[in-house]
Amino acid sequence: MGIVIAVVLLGIAILGLVLRRDLIFKLLSLGVLNSGAVLFLVSLGDRAGGTAPIVRGPGPAAYVDPLPQALVLSAIVIDFAVLAVALVFAMLLVERYHTTDSVRIEEEVTKELYR
Amino acid sequence: MSRPPLALLIPAVLLALGVLALFLFTFFPGGEPVSPYLARDAAGETGAANLVAGVYLNYRLYDTLFEVLVFAVAVIGVRYYLVGQKEGAAPPIPESPVVRTAADLLFSPLLLIGVYLVLFGHLSPGGGFAGGVVGGSGLLLCAIGLGGEVIARRFHETALERAEWLILAGFLLLLLVPVLFGAAPGTNLLPQGTVGNPVSGGTIVIYNILIGAKVFIGTWVVIYYFTRHRGEV
Repeated sequence: MGIVIAVVLLGIAILGLVLRRDLIFKLLSLGVLNSGAVLFLVSLGDRAGGTAPIVRGPGPAAYVDPLPQALVLSAIVIDFAVLAVALVFAMLLVERYHTTDSVRIEEEVTKELYR
Repeated sequence: MSRPPLALLIPAVLLALGVLALFLFTFFPGGEPVSPYLARDAAGETGAANLVAGVYLNYRLYDTLFEVLVFAVAVIGVRYYLVGQKEGAAPPIPESPVVRTAADLLFSPLLLIGVYLVLFGHLSPGGGFAGGVVGGSGLLLCAIGLGGEVIARRFHETALERAEWLILAGFLLLLLVPVLFGAAPGTNLLPQGTVGNPVSGGTIVIYNILIGAKVFIGTWVVIYYFTRHRGEV
């Protein structure tokens, strides 16, 4: 189930990245893309009836796989870093071109380059 | 500019993802899978009851090191690109007493929860990243309720920057200390204690504290620069 939701999220995010023209929407889609990837990896480590991988007492228990969860932590932090820097770049672009429309920004940049 | 054909794109994307998922499900190399090994031996080897913390602060410490470096680079990027920009008008402080009272009431508990998550990250869900972000969101609440400048006055900018570098240097030094004793960098040489005790896991607790402080400061720097430089479009 988690994998299905993750794939749907990834599809929505990729569509948003490609089709939306607004820079902020593109960045939001990037965030959704990351959430989809996180959900996909964590769902891969899932098992039926598994519990959180925290040792509560002696003896083996049916833990879910802790490895994807540890790996996904890096993805979350790097998503935060990428979004923060990308938002700064979006701020700089808006400051200069007074629009968040990526197509219009591209036109303005082309105009400046070939003037 | 013509729009990409939507009807073609969706199936193509889903097909590609499906093939990827199928590949991941069917391709398992031989040998013992990692998962049962971790569930059986990780707590004993790392001393951390939280197996995830044991993995990312012991087995895969280099991963975490570069994660912290990426975070530091992002904070540097935000500061570098925004420090020369013209500042927007001072953000208006909302007159709503509800927000101000909530900020006053919630700040200390949020900070306390953050410290708890950091200190008990090896025993229960939490850890340096989560705890630091919880503390940082407490600061964000204060910035909304009282205005960012009020809080910024309490933090010395250069002192914060110095603290960030000291934390990074401490992280790297702690990583290299085992080399002096002839072990590989990042080896957990401290006694690991009983699994489930607050004092257990050796260096995991120290790494958690360092990461928590780093994330707390970094979150505040990002929030502060974003609130100070929001301009009018």
